[in-house]
Amino acid sequence: MLQVKNIEKYYGSKNHVTKALDRVSFDVEKGEFIAIMGASGSGKTTLLNCISTIDTVSAGSIVLEGTEISELAEGELARFRRERLGFVFQDFNLLDTLTIEENIGLALMLNHSDPRFVQKQVTEVCEKLGITDILGKFPYQVSGGQKQRAACARAMVARQSLLLADEPTGALDSTASKNLLEIMTQMNQDMGATILMVTHDAYSAGYASRVLFLKDGKIFNELLRGERPRPVFYREILNVLALLGGDLSDVI
Amino acid sequence: MLSKPNTPDCAICADNPDRQNNSLSLKISFRNARRQAKDYLVYFVTIVMAAALIYSFNGLVFSKELLELSVRMEYLPAMIVFASVVVVCIIGWLVNYTTGFMLSRRSRELGTYMLIGLEPKQVTGLFMKENLIIGIAAFVPGTLMGSLLFQALRAILLTLFGISYHFRLSFSPKAGGLTLVYFVLIYLFAQLKCRKRIRSMKIHDLIYYEKVNEEEVIQKSSRRRRIFVISIVFGIMGTLLLMAGSTIPSFAGAACIIVFLYGFFISFSSGVPAWFESRPEKKYRRQTLLVFRTLSAKLASMGIVMATISLLFTAVLISLGLGILFSRMFDFRAQQSCFDLFISDTDTGVGFKEQAGSGREIESPDANAAGKFQEYADYVHRNLSVADELQYPLYLSKDDTLTDYLEANTRFSSFYGTDMVMRYSDYAALRAMLGYPQAVMEPGQYLIHCMPYLKKGIEEYPLSEEYDKSVTYAKEGLTPGNVYTEIFHQYLWGGNGYNYILILPDDAAEKYAMHSICYAVMTREPVSEEQYYDLRDIFYRTGTRHDGIFDGDSYGTIDAKSQAQRAEASEVAMFVLPLYYLALILSMTTVTILTIHQLSEMNRYRQQFTLLRKLGMEPREMIKALRTQLAVYYAMPAVPPLFITVPLILNFENIVEPEIMMGTGGALMILAVTLGLFAAIYAVYILSAYSGLKRNVLPEHLICPDRR
Repeated sequence: MLQVKNIEKYYGSKNHVTKALDRVSFDVEKGEFIAIMGASGSGKTTLLNCISTIDTVSAGSIVLEGTEISELAEGELARFRRERLGFVFQDFNLLDTLTIEENIGLALMLNHSDPRFVQKQVTEVCEKLGITDILGKFPYQVSGGQKQRAACARAMVARQSLLLADEPTGALDSTASKNLLEIMTQMNQDMGATILMVTHDAYSAGYASRVLFLKDGKIFNELLRGERPRPVFYREILNVLALLGGDLSDVI
Repeated sequence: MLSKPNTPDCAICADNPDRQNNSLSLKISFRNARRQAKDYLVYFVTIVMAAALIYSFNGLVFSKELLELSVRMEYLPAMIVFASVVVVCIIGWLVNYTTGFMLSRRSRELGTYMLIGLEPKQVTGLFMKENLIIGIAAFVPGTLMGSLLFQALRAILLTLFGISYHFRLSFSPKAGGLTLVYFVLIYLFAQLKCRKRIRSMKIHDLIYYEKVNEEEVIQKSSRRRRIFVISIVFGIMGTLLLMAGSTIPSFAGAACIIVFLYGFFISFSSGVPAWFESRPEKKYRRQTLLVFRTLSAKLASMGIVMATISLLFTAVLISLGLGILFSRMFDFRAQQSCFDLFISDTDTGVGFKEQAGSGREIESPDANAAGKFQEYADYVHRNLSVADELQYPLYLSKDDTLTDYLEANTRFSSFYGTDMVMRYSDYAALRAMLGYPQAVMEPGQYLIHCMPYLKKGIEEYPLSEEYDKSVTYAKEGLTPGNVYTEIFHQYLWGGNGYNYILILPDDAAEKYAMHSICYAVMTREPVSEEQYYDLRDIFYRTGTRHDGIFDGDSYGTIDAKSQAQRAEASEVAMFVLPLYYLALILSMTTVTILTIHQLSEMNRYRQQFTLLRKLGMEPREMIKALRTQLAVYYAMPAVPPLFITVPLILNFENIVEPEIMMGTGGALMILAVTLGLFAAIYAVYILSAYSGLKRNVLPEHLICPDRR
């Protein structure tokens, strides 16, 4: 579904160039739940930004469902983002002036969906994510976990093909994090959503079916969960992180 | 003292901790003031402009040159000071509001100062110093700009007085001093309010002040609907009362308008979300969702402010409209004085009344007129360089058919009851004096000279049923001839007829009773103000007054072209300029408050558009959404005033003399100019807000497509 081929990303001026991504390549299959881990500055957010078309690559190619995204013009990119990609951010990124229902409906509105069916579609998705009771509330009136579930609903309400999550549990307490990850698993397994999640947190990564480890802009390792139970997979992730030499905080 | 550690001053500082603290706090205040001025550039510019305007108008108060232009200018200082008091109140409100607004935006920072150990007194001092620095920083360039602006006002007035203008930049210490007094008052008021506000707040309140959410003022929909309907009723009542044009209904109308605007914005702010929530199909169409939520959030958080702004916009539009109307009115009146000197008197000489009353014909009206105006003529010949002059009688016919017809079919309002009549020979002479082409009168005809607004009615008169009822002139064997409409001193009573006059062959005219005697003079030099007042003294002494008591049956008029010009100039200075002054200050203040609110939300807009871009909103849709959000925001407080002022200004036609509202002076034109002026001021601020927002909140490549 997604092919990332030898992508490179450089920042800076002529005199001082920083290589954020160095020949990164991987594929994501339809229906896969993939996590990208790495220490601060390893390039994981840059990678996510390139895939999400918010940033451009210096070299290499990214192909999503047969579309080479570096060849798209800004207008086509906007269309590509709203039709194919769903986003979940660490700080929820809900608009304060809109109710939860409207925040979710925003994705459909941008897609120029028929206004008469927006409310129906929003309600349908929210029922699956268990947030129908907060639809009329504003973001400041609900908890962090509820906000993040609303963000998930927005990321899939327009039947986007790839859900990109950037540290989705970063601002949540442990209970809310667990709830969210279970929701994401449910979205992946029951609704067939393809998820690409960037995270610091080994516990969160344990919910994925595959984990890619980035170090200094390169893919350092890859772990496949297979049939292993999550606690086992979690311990393996911790082992790789220890090898990766990241901060202690990344491991705990 | 702040930045030179080795100076002796600083050595003193080192020994004196209080002084050190003061120095530090002043330093912080300076730095913050600089940052504030940058953040609130629009506010700063408005204060500078306000200082410039206040100084320039104060310049009028103390300008000997301008005040000595005419005796009529003696009331100008009082009018300007009165307007300035209102301006001080408005600017005081702006400073107080903006200071409070800055406080709410920076409460966390001020709370942090207290958290690290600064006493509330010190924090208050810090904040107050910052605002004082902004005030002083605005005052200095403001007064300098004011000197230039004063030159513009000076040029306008000198031109109106017909005096050539030469640029002469100067600074008036008295005007500067008065401006300073006003500024001290403005800032003293704002500082006291602010000190009270900060001192009553605790650290927790300060830190969490900005997180306090606004709540809907009225939550019950039935109550909301009731208030909405009542406010609309008050709005209609208020507009109708204002249109009545007299004093007491106007006050009642103004009160109704206040009730309308506050009621409307309070109920409307709660009603918008309710309306959209029950219509999801409308809400999700294009950018409606974003626009409607911006609208409802703004109305909920600043409904009362919006109502106040709307009220002030109404005042701006009315002030501008009245300013233009007065300006047209004064200009029109000045233009109607076509003779360099014109005197008329209904007291036609001893014995006249008896003659007229007995129905006997006057044997020698010219001799009568000459005797009557001998004293004026003596003065004129002694003191003025006469180019041409004429003393002539006017007669009053007994036929009221034309007068009644005009009253019924035009906006004419009869003054004499019957037609005023002039001899053709006098008319021809007067036309020659004025340089008008000769009037053609065929045998068996009479001519009519009227103001332009009556022309159509008079030309249609011969076709009317009323015409046949008129037997007076037909009996003389006369039918209506040409109609002339040049300026002919017909505007006020005591002129060449009131709005119109019939020109009859001399022998036909002389059959009627003489009504008044007129004396028209054309001079080579304009009549000076002193000469005018000398002539007026004669007028009062010998004219319609007998032993100093006004005789109700007789009246007269004295008018000079140059004096009318001086009157116009003085009236413009006393009424029109203060109205524009108020309108300008009011509009700048209100739009500044709107713009400050808008620009302070830069972060929220930036977050919104960053997210929308990530979610795939098209670039052109983002620009459109920003424009629509801004348009709706700025239109909100401007729309209700339009509903009030448009009918009000259009109704000007019915409250002033009809002639003023003809051609370019028409109500529609006044409305267009009023709205145009207001829109121009509004547009400057809207464009500054738009460019600021566009630059800061939209992704870079949308502004500069090449930079992607």
